[in-house]
Amino acid sequence: MSESTPLKYAYYPGCSLHASAGEYDLSTRELFKELEIGLTEVPDWFCCGATPAHNVDELLSLSLCAKNLELAEQVEGDLAVACAACFSRLKTTQHVLAESDVKRKQVEKAIDAPLKIDGKVKHLLDIIAHDLGLEKLKSAVKKPLAGLKVACYYGCLLTRPTDVPNLDCVEAPTIMEDVLAAVGAETVPWTHRLECCGANFTLSRPGVVIQLTNAILDSAKAAGADCVMVGCPLCHGNLDIRQKEIEGVYNTSYALPVFYITQLVGMACGLSPEKLGLGALIVNPMPLLKSKGLV
Amino acid sequence: MKKKKMIISQETMDVDFVRKVESLSGTSVRRCFQCGKCSAGCPMATFMEHPPNRVVRLLQLGQWQRILAGRSIWYCASCETCSTRCPNKVHLASIMDALRKLSWDAEGPSKESYVQLANKLFLQNIRTYGRQYEMRLAAVFNVKSGQFLKDLMLGPKLLAKGKLKMFHHKNKNMTEIEKIFTRIEAMRHKGEAL
Repeated sequence: MSESTPLKYAYYPGCSLHASAGEYDLSTRELFKELEIGLTEVPDWFCCGATPAHNVDELLSLSLCAKNLELAEQVEGDLAVACAACFSRLKTTQHVLAESDVKRKQVEKAIDAPLKIDGKVKHLLDIIAHDLGLEKLKSAVKKPLAGLKVACYYGCLLTRPTDVPNLDCVEAPTIMEDVLAAVGAETVPWTHRLECCGANFTLSRPGVVIQLTNAILDSAKAAGADCVMVGCPLCHGNLDIRQKEIEGVYNTSYALPVFYITQLVGMACGLSPEKLGLGALIVNPMPLLKSKGLV
Repeated sequence: MKKKKMIISQETMDVDFVRKVESLSGTSVRRCFQCGKCSAGCPMATFMEHPPNRVVRLLQLGQWQRILAGRSIWYCASCETCSTRCPNKVHLASIMDALRKLSWDAEGPSKESYVQLANKLFLQNIRTYGRQYEMRLAAVFNVKSGQFLKDLMLGPKLLAKGKLKMFHHKNKNMTEIEKIFTRIEAMRHKGEAL
């Protein structure tokens, strides 16, 4: 990317970012403003169907995503997606419809229009690490996150399955660690960074979520992390909102603040805690940040 | 539960059902040679009576009733670990989707009504509002599943943090969205899609 072309994206926040993950939306907008990356929200975007749609009705899932991709075409630039689940569904739709003529025709019939879905879909991580680039990110850092030990949690859908998201290696990704190294944080090697938190069961089977998420928090703590970083509002909901409940069930204490990528990178770029929505986190990150001299 | 003996014969093997699964999922169950990598990496295998590799084996043998009679397919988290690790490119996560779809259509016996209820309410929400109305989704789920107190303690905390929105924005393009649902229903009615 040359100096003269400013980065510009269509923005698909996803449902959670307008409700339970408002701080992810806020910190994304503030960080991108700071990095001079343009974001224009896709007009009238709607739910991608997430896991429940493809779980029971693939055609519906593909059609909802195809329509959203068509809406995104109205806005200049590649599509920036914040939520790992939306990202996965939109990429899967492109992948499946490129491979199957039958499904392509069915979806065209369902949305009653020729498919316009070939625009690039990118997760925020991809934009920060590759489009902006780590060198430029480094030059934007005002307050390196020195001394902060972060467990990078990828979860399921940022990298899996093979050939679909194509964000990084499916079994040994490093994109989060690379971004954090650029902003001066330390990352810990740990066992559960690609394990599932059970997001889809948060409503129907919270017991399952508690068991899976406990293993993740336990592993992060054992690896010596001070906090966890995620790129998905559903992972965040389980790790942050349910953390107290999990501590109760397993009679233990984690006290691990869970940050969004945009919050940690934003902090390094000198944005205030208010602009990054740190007050909306359930596990209070302030004592940790104060102890490291970061606020 | 007493284990029923499995008899493999032309009468007990329903290959048509398996073809439907293969066509919906775009993957072939015959490619599986039972290495078990899918089950080894599955975070949900401990909750299932048939772990992923056995689900595929039962499909190979045309014994789908055994799969749908249990809760295995509803306990799949769609984390895609199985599909990623399969050495034979059996897309197991898609097979699980296809099985849930066929089970959902038939409203066949399922022991996992909570997951089905959550899915159903989630899709209804799209049809009514366009975007997910998280608070309503959780409230209606609790009422319909009879678990009035579930996660009640989280409520005030989430409200205080601005994470629960009492009022919800309804999309302007609701007619467009509704049409997607009705067109798909019409296609299925005419037999143009599974």
